Amino acid sequence: MPTGRTSKTLRQMHRNNAFYLAMAPFVVIFIIFSVFPVLFSFYLGFNQWDGFSEPRFVGFDNYLRALNDPIFQKALWNTLYLWFWSTVVTVTLALGLAVLVNEYVAFGKNWFRMVFLLPLLVAPAIAAIILRVFFTSSGGLVNLFVGSVTGTPSYFDWLGSQEWIKPLVALLVVWRWTGWYMIIFMAGLQSIPRDIYEAARMEGVGRWAIFSRITVPLLMPSIAFAVITATLGGLQMFDEPYVLTQGQGGTNNSTTTIGMYLYATAFTQFNFGLGSAVSWYIFAAVVVLTLSYRLINQKVREGAAA
Amino acid sequence: MRKLLANRERRIDFAITVALFLLSLLFVLPLYWTTVFATRSLQEVFSFPPPLWYGDNIVQNYQNIANVFPPFRPIINSLIVAVPKTIGLVLVSALAGYGLSRYGRAPGHKFLLAMTFATLFFPPTLALIPFFLQMSAFGWLNTFWPLIIPAMASGFGVVWMYTYIGSTIPKELYEAAEMDGAKGLSTFFFVVLPIIRPGLAALAVWTLISTWNDFQLPLVVLAEGSRFTVPLALTMLSTTHYSDMPAVMLATLMGLVPVFVLFALLSRQFIAGLTSGAVK
Repeated sequence: MPTGRTSKTLRQMHRNNAFYLAMAPFVVIFIIFSVFPVLFSFYLGFNQWDGFSEPRFVGFDNYLRALNDPIFQKALWNTLYLWFWSTVVTVTLALGLAVLVNEYVAFGKNWFRMVFLLPLLVAPAIAAIILRVFFTSSGGLVNLFVGSVTGTPSYFDWLGSQEWIKPLVALLVVWRWTGWYMIIFMAGLQSIPRDIYEAARMEGVGRWAIFSRITVPLLMPSIAFAVITATLGGLQMFDEPYVLTQGQGGTNNSTTTIGMYLYATAFTQFNFGLGSAVSWYIFAAVVVLTLSYRLINQKVREGAAA
Repeated sequence: MRKLLANRERRIDFAITVALFLLSLLFVLPLYWTTVFATRSLQEVFSFPPPLWYGDNIVQNYQNIANVFPPFRPIINSLIVAVPKTIGLVLVSALAGYGLSRYGRAPGHKFLLAMTFATLFFPPTLALIPFFLQMSAFGWLNTFWPLIIPAMASGFGVVWMYTYIGSTIPKELYEAAEMDGAKGLSTFFFVVLPIIRPGLAALAVWTLISTWNDFQLPLVVLAEGSRFTVPLALTMLSTTHYSDMPAVMLATLMGLVPVFVLFALLSRQFIAGLTSGAVK
């Protein structure tokens, strides 16, 4: 015999059965293919397993083993480097372009809105293939160009070089994503009331001061959104370095990312436990960075309000 | 004096426009060169200065690809994956978005809404390894199923439809439908779906393009070259036949064309889809 409260809830649920019907496809697929794998990944992280023999419980061994692996340390550093530089350059460039196109461009606004977006249509893997063609050591366009300028043919191995490979991966990210963030910032700029600018101009405030004191603070929500999405993508970066280095991570692992390290441990060494532990490190990094942006963003807003 | 100032400002604007135009060329130049190289012979590509305009070697390049694999196979594979997944994802998302948007007081609503938003911050990498093992247990490895069915539950899709439906459908419409005796999900199929078509289109374009570009999941799941989707097949071609650069560029171009056609037809929906997350 249900108590008064549960029967009320049941009645409510019955009245809303269309709600549960509507949610069912999403929830069922989500539980089977996302919730269950994530829980299983948690289990795997504490076990040693090659997919064939019995899984063996090893506690935090996988987590410690990753931390002590020099290649993981290098992958961690590479990922942070790529995430930082690609995010800083992409977001700054996109912000500058959005403001310039919005305020200063005299003609052809539609061209600018479209053209920077085109690279986003190109798959990261395909973009990496195109970049390879430009930078291969023999016959690559860049070497042809360098050779013609200096007068001696150049065979510099850009993709094999430890110094150049990381900036090249970052360049790929900048090339693909700048247009996207530019569109987001332009949408954000539309929501800033024009009379704030008019008033500032009447007071004789210069263009740079208007940009740094009015535009940037008011665009803070869009900027935070851009930085958070760039971080989510950057910490999982896989396609670009994988294709650019043909799955090898470059000379001396100079552009092996955590995502590539995870892929290699799981799918070439069949060490599923270690790979799962690494995926939880990625998750932890996402949580830490996302929460710290939120805090910073909140502080900035409070500062602006005070 | 004022006129002089206006002229000076106009000249600055003009200079900035020209500078931005030159910068924008950098963003399309690689794509332009890809199309040029696809029509040139190997010698022409390696000569200096490199060709800036189209040549007449495209048929030969096409035959060079055809000698390695059927050139349209990866495109067909990508369509087999992307079209059903997109239809499923859009429908599943619209249903869930409708449920969350209309039934705010149903028990469990708060939890489901919070869960959906939380998924946006879950890196897909987290589930990659167990997902592979799960697909292996299902016997789904080296088939297209892992790329179609699981991807239909998209947190982004649900959030997008939830905000879209919430902002386009007035509550009075639901009341009117109820008065007319609409039961269960009939309101959704006959009243809501026709109204939210632009929102569905935006989500569909975004899903099609990102599915087309997907690399890591197909790499993990597909083993046989004849099943490879476009980015996988191109990566394989470019590593094994890298010396035939014009053929690689032509194949790359073929893989890009469907996405660019789609973009040309539906660019407005695409951009609406892109900015949706940022505006809300």
